[in-house]
Amino acid sequence: MSRTSDEEGGSPERDEASADEQAQFSALLEDSAEDLYERAPCGYLSTQLDGRIAKVNTTLLDWLGYEPGELVGHKHFSDLLTVGGRLYHETHFAPLLRMQGEISGIALELKAANGARLPVLVTSTVKTSSDGQPLLIRTTVFDARDRRAYETELLRARQQAEEERARLQRLNTTLQKTLLPPALANVPGLDVSAHYHIASTDEVGGDFYDLFPLAAGTWGLFLGDVCGKGAMAAAVTSLARYTLRAAAVYDPDPAAVLDNLNTVLNHEYNGTDPRFCTVVFGLLTPDHDEGGFRVTLASGGHPPALLMRADGTADYLTTPGGQLIGVLPDVDIATTTVRLAPGDTLLLHTDGLTEAHINSDAEDGERYGDDALLDFADALAPTTASDTISAIRDLLDKLGSGVDDDTAVLAIHVPQPPSDEHQ
Amino acid sequence: MDVRSRNHVTVTGRTGGPVVMLAHGFGCDQNMWRLVVPALERDFTVVLFDHVGAGHSDLSAWSPEHYSTLDRYADDVLEICRELALGPVTFVGHSVSAMMGVLAAARAPEAFAGLVLLAPSPCFIDDPESGYRGGFSAEDIDELLESLEANYLGWSGAMAPVIMGNPERPELGQELTNSFCRTDPDIARVFARVTFLSDNRADLPAVDVPTLIAQCSSDAIAPPEVGAFVHAQIQGSQLVTLNATGHCPQLAAPEETTAAITAFAGAAR
Amino acid sequence: MTPDLTLRTRTTPAGAVIELAGELDHHTADQVRAALPGLDLHSGQQLVLDLDGITLFDSSGVTVLIAARNHARAADASIALASVPNCVSRIFRRVGLEQVFTTHPTAQAAEAAWRPPSS
Repeated sequence: MSRTSDEEGGSPERDEASADEQAQFSALLEDSAEDLYERAPCGYLSTQLDGRIAKVNTTLLDWLGYEPGELVGHKHFSDLLTVGGRLYHETHFAPLLRMQGEISGIALELKAANGARLPVLVTSTVKTSSDGQPLLIRTTVFDARDRRAYETELLRARQQAEEERARLQRLNTTLQKTLLPPALANVPGLDVSAHYHIASTDEVGGDFYDLFPLAAGTWGLFLGDVCGKGAMAAAVTSLARYTLRAAAVYDPDPAAVLDNLNTVLNHEYNGTDPRFCTVVFGLLTPDHDEGGFRVTLASGGHPPALLMRADGTADYLTTPGGQLIGVLPDVDIATTTVRLAPGDTLLLHTDGLTEAHINSDAEDGERYGDDALLDFADALAPTTASDTISAIRDLLDKLGSGVDDDTAVLAIHVPQPPSDEHQ
Repeated sequence: MDVRSRNHVTVTGRTGGPVVMLAHGFGCDQNMWRLVVPALERDFTVVLFDHVGAGHSDLSAWSPEHYSTLDRYADDVLEICRELALGPVTFVGHSVSAMMGVLAAARAPEAFAGLVLLAPSPCFIDDPESGYRGGFSAEDIDELLESLEANYLGWSGAMAPVIMGNPERPELGQELTNSFCRTDPDIARVFARVTFLSDNRADLPAVDVPTLIAQCSSDAIAPPEVGAFVHAQIQGSQLVTLNATGHCPQLAAPEETTAAITAFAGAAR
Repeated sequence: MTPDLTLRTRTTPAGAVIELAGELDHHTADQVRAALPGLDLHSGQQLVLDLDGITLFDSSGVTVLIAARNHARAADASIALASVPNCVSRIFRRVGLEQVFTTHPTAQAAEAAWRPPSS
């Protein structure tokens, strides 16, 4: 602040007035430590180490409606608490205070003399002697009626949110189940097994599979992955499933089935919210001459199927050039035909498995990958459908939270004829 | 599953000495025994552990279905004994853990050289029909659950930054204070129900190993008449009343508690 | 925290350019989708998606590129990709899209390759 030189000298009257103001100001300030203690805007309480009340300020006495003589030397701090609060005090508060020397911001309720309850926040410290021996406990008590009302509201909201989330997860799980066959069809001469791994119940995933009878002893099977998650993806999954089944009845040629699906999806979803899927469709025909099955696979941009042979080798059945289904008016679909001999196992999978993070801590670290899956299949062969699926489940368990997308797997296996088993 | 890591078992003290196994009660973890362990280590092999769901136990081993009775906790105690294969132990159970010891000793008496029931209560809830007074009503337990809920918010926000190591006690560092008495609220809720709603009065007469009941002179949770009840129900048991007040004599009066355990466990071997 | 995806648009005589850097996945796909209607793109022009800075790309990224393609077609414009990183081309190969988009080594090359429609 700037002053003129005239003012700086000052007049005697002014000095007197200034001293007077100083005194008044001082009187307004806390010059009595005792009054500050007694009438502080919070409760003060000192107790012996066993909790017996040794000193308590007027503020707290007023809040609780006690006379000093009723508390000091007669009651323990825990006597002022509700019964539940006393249990909490004995099992949490007191041990922590003893071990740490202080504890802060604990929500408790005090019981007033008239039985009313006062929500408070309690902070305590242990006063120690110069050689570190605990002497007594000092406690401050803050009125927390407003805060507690707010917290109760927060807790209520949190509980409600948790209930809603649980409800949504149940709904998602149910919806997911409706998108999968409740049980796989029983194909004479085939051992089949499937598994759906849900990465998160917060949203419905878009993987799907099915196996179903077609005309004249032939069977259709498919496994696919609709891009995205949630209700929209579920709607596309449902549409894809029944389109595939209906199209297969109309014309079971695998490439024609996928072409049909492409037309339906492309017509239904275009513009700025395109929806697509990748899918493998297979047609199984019993091979009456040589035994086993012939399978023709058509792929629309889907990871290749794995063939694990009876001789212990494994290979991808690649279908290069197949395009994803649903976004291009004219789509290229690649097909391959293979014979499943007795002892062979065919595995279809979605990329939730191969795209799993090996190190679950890293967001964009190393993925499990196609090569690892081929090695895995190579080690597994020769195998059966159920052994394959159980090995994949173990693998998914091992990858743990690294599997951040849903994964569907479907295995079909041609068992050795019973006569061969004795060889 | 590996029992040692499931229950965060630690074994310290005199190798080959008589074995004392310390079981913490509801609320905290094995650090409850910190003040008595150094003295016990001189004479005994000391086994410490956390109940599943508490402290550094393997939380994935906990489920509300499995840990909804004290029997399961008693099974865990016996599994730890078997795993360590240290011979009969003197089991010191604080508060609710005293009853775990009672159940375990009834099931496999050969595993125990003795039981020390520290501030025990076989039933916290009053039973007017039989005239038994445990000190609490079922509504009181609901209030405790409310306290746990209310302080869950406190823990996550206001509490965390304030709980620091005590400058006078550097060994009580950050790591300890972050876990000590901090339990997942869902687990605490279930454990509170198991602790305070169990009634093990009928299990007491089945105890057939040397037993010491050590109660505090003034304990809001396990009042003296409850200790007297336990004493009357376990044939041949000894009862001592410690000068310590409160429910945690191992913290409030570690020397006195150590002396009681040492005198009994030394004689019990 | 740095944003997962940064998106910048600019306009050239050849048409709009969207520069994308960071992670293009299901968390960020809507951000790109939302930018499409505001583009300054006219009939005969070319929409360029510069993917130089993309570090993470998944099937939701594919959806976004398809959406951009549909958007360009609706405006009677063409679409081209520039600086396609490995993580994108790997997925493109898998789902059979490598022949569907015209690609250029850089956004400049894409602009240079554009020819105004003969009127």
